[in-house]
Amino acid sequence: MAALVRIGSVCRGPAVPSLLFRSAPLIRPLAARKKDQDYPYFCTAKIHATPSNYAAAGSKAASLHWTGERIVSIALLGLGPVAYFYPGPVMDYSLAAVLTLHGHWGLGQVVTDYVHGDAKIKLANTGLFLLSAVTFAGLCYFNYHDVGICKAVALLWSK
Amino acid sequence: MPGTRVTMVTVSCRWSVPMAMSITHRGTGVALSGGISVFAVAALVLPGSFPHYLDLIHSLSFGPALITLSKFALSFPVAYHTFNGIRHLVWDAGKGLKIPEVYGSGYTVIALTLLTSLALTAL
Repeated sequence: MAALVRIGSVCRGPAVPSLLFRSAPLIRPLAARKKDQDYPYFCTAKIHATPSNYAAAGSKAASLHWTGERIVSIALLGLGPVAYFYPGPVMDYSLAAVLTLHGHWGLGQVVTDYVHGDAKIKLANTGLFLLSAVTFAGLCYFNYHDVGICKAVALLWSK
Repeated sequence: MPGTRVTMVTVSCRWSVPMAMSITHRGTGVALSGGISVFAVAALVLPGSFPHYLDLIHSLSFGPALITLSKFALSFPVAYHTFNGIRHLVWDAGKGLKIPEVYGSGYTVIALTLLTSLALTAL
């Protein structure tokens, strides 16, 4: 059975790796019959074509974005233990930056997956950008005028 | 089609552990991000300091059960998203993509999440 599948998202997959570009989905007729341990299942979906939001062929924007996301994720993994052992303003501001960026890019993927139509995509991304800007501002404000992220977590947990 | 289930998300296939774990990863991510944003806006808008509001909450004397529950409610999404995030990074490196490995690493993430959340809650 030939089924048209939108790459990257239909059934929240088994293990649909993030290797696939979400920003330039391809149209492909696909015979999709997956054996998932004991029972087979079909996934079908409407075909979906999005004009590429980035520059023409040859642009590495999407690829670099993907790599950037992984680097920030790994950075955030490292920051946790370091913040635990060396709390202070440097960690506070580093956490504010990396947390906000990781969240911004993560929510950006959610927008890409569920929001369709040029105007709606633009609107959603603008809203997201504002949210992330306010979030970062608020965290920096907290770090400057209040106890800071590391101390706040310590205080919260001390009760 | 026999064996299919229609849920709120109308998807024409059965739920599986990897599928559920994937949407949970997204759900915890969105929830954590939302929580951080709420915290940031509160920091900008509320007049008092963090210790002030902490003391305020403690003066309400919620009781140990609620405090434990709150700590678990915070620890669980952080732990799950972190461990499953590592699992994602392993996939990005091209490893662990065979179906038995996906299930195996999935169960490992669930186990680690439970252990870590309980440990953090007990701290």
